[in-house]
Amino acid sequence: MSAADLFSFFYQFADVFAFLILSASGLAIVFGMMGIINMAHGEFIMCGAYVTVGLVNLGVPLALAQILAAIAAGLIGVVVEYFIVRRFYKRPLDSLLATWGLSLIVTQSMLLIVGSSIRGIGTPEGSFAVGDYTFSTYRLVLFACAVAVLVGLYIIFMKTRFGVLARATMQNAAMAKALGARTGRIYAISFGIGAGLAGLCGALYAPTMTLIPTMGATFIVESFVTVVVGGANVLLGTAPAAIFLAMIRMALNASYGQIIGQIGMLFAVIMIIRILPEGLSSVLVRRGR
Amino acid sequence: MLRLLDGPQTLGKGPKFWACFLVVLVAALIYPLFADSYDVGNFAYFLLWIFMALGLSLMWGYAGMLSFGQTLFFGISGYTYGVLAIVMGGGSTTIVALVLSVCMAMLAAAILGYFMIWGGISGIFFGIVTLSATLVLAFFLGQTAGSEWHIGAARLNGFNGMQGMDPLTVGSLDIEGSVLYYFMLVLIVVVYVALRMFVNSSIGNVIVATRENPQRAEMLGYDVRKYQLLAFVIGSGLAGLSGALYTSWGQFITPSSIGLPAAAMPIVWVAFSGRSDLTATLVGSFLLLFGFQTITIYSQQAALVLMGALLLATVMVAPQGFVLGVGRLIAVRWKRWRGGGVAKTEPARLQPDEV
Amino acid sequence: MTLVEVKGVSKRFGGLTAVSGVDLTVDAGEVHCLIGPNGAGKSTLFKLIVGLYPPTQGQILFDSVDITQQRPFARVQRGMSIKMQAPSVFRELPVRQNIQIALQGHVSGAERDREEERLLTLLNLATEGEKLAGALSHGQQQWLEIGMALALRPQLLLLDEPTAGMSPEETFRTGELIKTFNTGGMTLLVVEHDMAFVRQIAQRVTVLHLGKIFAHGSLEAILQDEKVAEIYLGKTHVHH
Repeated sequence: MSAADLFSFFYQFADVFAFLILSASGLAIVFGMMGIINMAHGEFIMCGAYVTVGLVNLGVPLALAQILAAIAAGLIGVVVEYFIVRRFYKRPLDSLLATWGLSLIVTQSMLLIVGSSIRGIGTPEGSFAVGDYTFSTYRLVLFACAVAVLVGLYIIFMKTRFGVLARATMQNAAMAKALGARTGRIYAISFGIGAGLAGLCGALYAPTMTLIPTMGATFIVESFVTVVVGGANVLLGTAPAAIFLAMIRMALNASYGQIIGQIGMLFAVIMIIRILPEGLSSVLVRRGR
Repeated sequence: MLRLLDGPQTLGKGPKFWACFLVVLVAALIYPLFADSYDVGNFAYFLLWIFMALGLSLMWGYAGMLSFGQTLFFGISGYTYGVLAIVMGGGSTTIVALVLSVCMAMLAAAILGYFMIWGGISGIFFGIVTLSATLVLAFFLGQTAGSEWHIGAARLNGFNGMQGMDPLTVGSLDIEGSVLYYFMLVLIVVVYVALRMFVNSSIGNVIVATRENPQRAEMLGYDVRKYQLLAFVIGSGLAGLSGALYTSWGQFITPSSIGLPAAAMPIVWVAFSGRSDLTATLVGSFLLLFGFQTITIYSQQAALVLMGALLLATVMVAPQGFVLGVGRLIAVRWKRWRGGGVAKTEPARLQPDEV
Repeated sequence: MTLVEVKGVSKRFGGLTAVSGVDLTVDAGEVHCLIGPNGAGKSTLFKLIVGLYPPTQGQILFDSVDITQQRPFARVQRGMSIKMQAPSVFRELPVRQNIQIALQGHVSGAERDREEERLLTLLNLATEGEKLAGALSHGQQQWLEIGMALALRPQLLLLDEPTAGMSPEETFRTGELIKTFNTGGMTLLVVEHDMAFVRQIAQRVTVLHLGKIFAHGSLEAILQDEKVAEIYLGKTHVHH
């Protein structure tokens, strides 16, 4: 195997890994903190993508538009948390239904208002060659962003005051509250971060795909299975789950194509839940103790 | 037998309830005499979805498993019917195709259910694993446009879906129009009554016990996993019945019957109706299907927005379901109007026993 | 005859050893109490015998059969019956249906109806049959759960602090009830910390301390054991 082959191997892995991390991290944070799955996750991704494209069409530089899109999605997340999600922290199944209802309302209203597709902005050009292969630079930027998201989450949750309070709330919300943590605010911020990360995912992938109101569905299977495999811990669960799933996916994609890769990944997940019902993070967290 | 029809797990019971049931049934039986055949066909269309709703009520309301995979089994069975109806040559073999399609859905449910239930998956993860499987099937079928995707003479056809299969046929009689309507009506009565007897049986007793407190049920010597799997297979099989009937009814099926937003529909019907009661699910699902179809003529998106809003409103205002809530309210008012209050022999439950 | 045999059983949770190398036998026909101060590992040992989790080490035999790897329902089918510490009933179902669910695996038809009435009367719940179990008082829920455990007609009845949350009168009645079951031939293993209750019912006692067996013997012997009094009751509480 030549160096170019090796790099090609890494490149494909990085591509899938980035997709899994970027699409799942927002969902994983909300699940890890509040124990609920946000079924409107895909719509926050869609929101990030639309805001990005809208801003770029207005003349805003791409990178700035992407950051603003993530912030916009995060702010909408805080609003949604305030009006809807916070009523359901004690009823996780109902939160699933409520956010699914929201997701239906948003996608179908978007279809009514903006129609089925809008003008895209095209993937930023730029490529480089290693050996006989040519690679898109933007795909590596996505990988760098996924790594940056993980590092950022590590800093937020392990090094800041908010992170300490958030982890305390996650361990024992009643106790944290009794000790003076404002758990309501922590939940709202966590949901906002989750929605913002979803928005970031949409913003980053907006240049690479066709924008339609139902585009969220493209991401949610990957984000669901990554969270199911990863369990409740973003850093110790989602990241290793993404590495593991990316390996499986890459192997299958290479030999059989995208859709078999996705089916194979789903089968792997169903096998894993039979063996490790609480997800990878349960094993890693236990080892870590 | 009769004891099973009016057991503790079904709210509507007693002579008054069955009198209402008969009135509705007779009205449904004579309806085609007064309506044109287009409307009768439409009615048959609403009825075919009822099985899927009843199946979800069994799994979610009675067994406590929130499956988002009803359209997965709907799709498996619908496509299986399409393939078999073409491959086996159609005609009277379509009845065999229908039975085999439902068996296929149940087999798939047994495999998926085994891995989830024995893997200890419950609560929200049960929902998202079943939904993931559903979406993956929809994506997969969407990518089968190429001519290499065929089984015998049956082309899968990607997003455009399968078509050209025979509808259900017995001898020279095509089960279409008002014949299909009566066929559905009989099936619904049979399935509804059978489910009532099932949930009120001793197995049904264990199934609701499993929902209430799986650990206690296990400590009474029941292998709760087997009961959950049984409920999951039956509930998913009913979704399969809807799927095969759908393909037969319209002689086509596409991946959009499986993916989003289709997958959300059974959840909306059953949540809105009141998942914990079969009768409420039956009535509520029918009303929603009727309303949805009426609005869809003007705008499908608007109808779906309404469905989303109903789901959101249900969990926010009436988590137990609107139809069930209204039914209880009417029953309470009725009792008060009769000046009775709760009679001595009646259960002092929170719910009055007539819907 | 030995009914339950626990051989060298340990249970670790991460770094914490909750139960360590415990040997315990319960003879057929006895009322055996498992006592010890808080954190002694009583409840963990109880859950290991019940099968709620597997031991890290060791073996558990019931009626000479190795049940170490069996799930709770399989142990129940062999003749165990279990009452957990916190009341665990089917809250949204009527009291009568709770009992029926417990009974239906063993008896049917008219016999089931008779047995249902007998149990409801025995448990002082005859007038509460149509109430939802969740609407009962805490003590009544404990009774209902004991009734469900009894409905299985077990060889061995396992009770984890059956009198928690009961009034003194209710506690006394429960004790008398347990003695009646025992006279009828049932073996009982009871986890308890209320010494008055233990005195009322126990024939043999095992004392757990820090996850290990500290002492075992007849009720009289244990009551006179100074060391037990020291760790368990505190010296000042010893009255003989």
